[in-house]
Amino acid sequence: MLETLKKNKLKLAVIILLIAISFVIARKSYPALILAYIMLYGIGAHGLDILFGYSGQISMGHAGFFAVGAYTSAILSRTFGINPFLTMLAGCIMAVLLGFLIAIPAAKLVKHFLSFLTIAFGQVIYLFVNSCQPLTGGAGGYSSIPKLSLFGFVLDTNAKYYAFTLVLLIIVIILKKNLINSRMGMAFIAIRENVKAAEGMGINVRAYKAYAFAISAFLMGLAGALYAHLVGYISPETFNATASTLFMTMILFGGIGTTMGPLVGSGILMLIKEVFQFLQIYQVLIYGVFILIVLFFMPSGAVGLFNKVVKKIQKKFGKKEQEYADA
Amino acid sequence: MNIVLMLVIGSIMIGCVYGVLGMGYSLIYKATGLLNLAHGDFLMIGAFVGLTLVKTGIPYILAIILTFVIMFAFGWCVQLGLVSTLLKKGAAVSYIIILTSAISMILQNGALIIWGAIPLYFPSLFKKTSVKVFGVSTAPESLMVMALAIVCMFGLYLFLNKTKFGTAMRAAALNQKAASSLGINVPVTKGVTWGLAAGLAGLLGVALGPIYGAYLTLGGLIGQKAFASAVAGGYGNMYGAIIGGLFFGFVETFTAAYLTTVYRDMVSFGILILLLIFMPTGLFREQVLE
Repeated sequence: MLETLKKNKLKLAVIILLIAISFVIARKSYPALILAYIMLYGIGAHGLDILFGYSGQISMGHAGFFAVGAYTSAILSRTFGINPFLTMLAGCIMAVLLGFLIAIPAAKLVKHFLSFLTIAFGQVIYLFVNSCQPLTGGAGGYSSIPKLSLFGFVLDTNAKYYAFTLVLLIIVIILKKNLINSRMGMAFIAIRENVKAAEGMGINVRAYKAYAFAISAFLMGLAGALYAHLVGYISPETFNATASTLFMTMILFGGIGTTMGPLVGSGILMLIKEVFQFLQIYQVLIYGVFILIVLFFMPSGAVGLFNKVVKKIQKKFGKKEQEYADA
Repeated sequence: MNIVLMLVIGSIMIGCVYGVLGMGYSLIYKATGLLNLAHGDFLMIGAFVGLTLVKTGIPYILAIILTFVIMFAFGWCVQLGLVSTLLKKGAAVSYIIILTSAISMILQNGALIIWGAIPLYFPSLFKKTSVKVFGVSTAPESLMVMALAIVCMFGLYLFLNKTKFGTAMRAAALNQKAASSLGINVPVTKGVTWGLAAGLAGLLGVALGPIYGAYLTLGGLIGQKAFASAVAGGYGNMYGAIIGGLFFGFVETFTAAYLTTVYRDMVSFGILILLLIFMPTGLFREQVLE
């Protein structure tokens, strides 16, 4: 760990600098809200990335897990008065349970069927949330969700909430990196690359596919619960099919199967969403065009493009770098 | 008794629509092994194109044929310009699915820009507002949809089985290398397959237009339920799709009438999930497992 830190001194410095800048920006309420959105959508995108980017299973209905996390936490904390931290955990667990439930059949289905199974799952959750008025408030939404608080310390401003989500995101990224380098992560990648070969190597494909689903559902549920307690109001439209494609666009545009890709994608898409708010009716069109651009011109996403540029620069100044290394 | 008969007619009408649309999914799957998530949106675009044609004063029958031709060309273009280009770059099947979902997003939003968010309605086609069938009054438009769907089914059957090109298409779907070594132009058969699927979807759109009107999310739910029908009948099996379509038509109509209108679509999707879990091979035992 320390050695990798030493190697990546520059990267670490840049990250710390970025975080410092973000806190300066977050002193105003509205930018802090956007930053918190970026963080929590980033957590969700990391979840989807573990599923699609690393284990190669497509999911077009991941907003369903997002909704489950949000609604479970919101309903439990408002009607029963349980501490939101506990209900958030409950939301995650609920999402994981559903994830397993979907994963058991999903593990044996091929791509088309898997994509439609997940679409159907997302639709069922959305339709349920939309029509089960007594429990979820129906299309009108669910409001006055309590704020997060721990030992009397209430996360009442957006800046505090941003700091909280940032810490969570860093934990998620570190855990994800460890996961990918672990036995399980290797199994995920093996399954993505070649299912038959993975099976031949003695990997229990169905079990690992189910784990991937459960882990990604957990992160999605966490993101959903964070969203609910940040905004204080949730309505079904946040969790429709467009939300699922939004997450997919994020990881594709950021770069799938990378450490920073999902966060970069979340940042770019959220900024676009906020800056071009006057273009809101074209929002879905922009996502669609983004996906086309990624598919046809930059298959490794923004992170891949960035790495390419860095490598080119390093090639140009290759000698200089060598000198620095010697000195 | 009358109510039941009315429901049966309604079920058959919407079931035929699901069936023909489901045949499109099966066609594309058989010929290219792909899934088109934008299939329902082809139907929506068809409805809008047909409406625009009718508004310019073209007779309805001609509008249907023209829409079919336009959507046929559109489907072929999508296959040629996007799908096969991406496949040539070595993309995996999952990326094609994502590509078609991007196409679906672009089509929906494009339609929003061109035709607006407010549902548009066709001028009424028939002088009578209802016809008596077995003593039950039915909208003539529903009967027309049914008739058109049946014509489509038989047309497709005849085209695939009795014409030379249809046989070539089936051969190419069965084994690309063998077909291509026999002199069949496989890229063209693939393009025509996508064209046919899109054309049929567009035609259904024009047919449904007078009943539901043309609006942006017209294709979404119908497309997804058509997929469910295709799965129920055995994915990839043309005739299974029709039976699956009728099954979902009946389930949907009767749940709405006797159980719950609020959870109607949820029931359909729930059945799809159960089908995918317990009977992914469908009624006709098509091979779908890995």
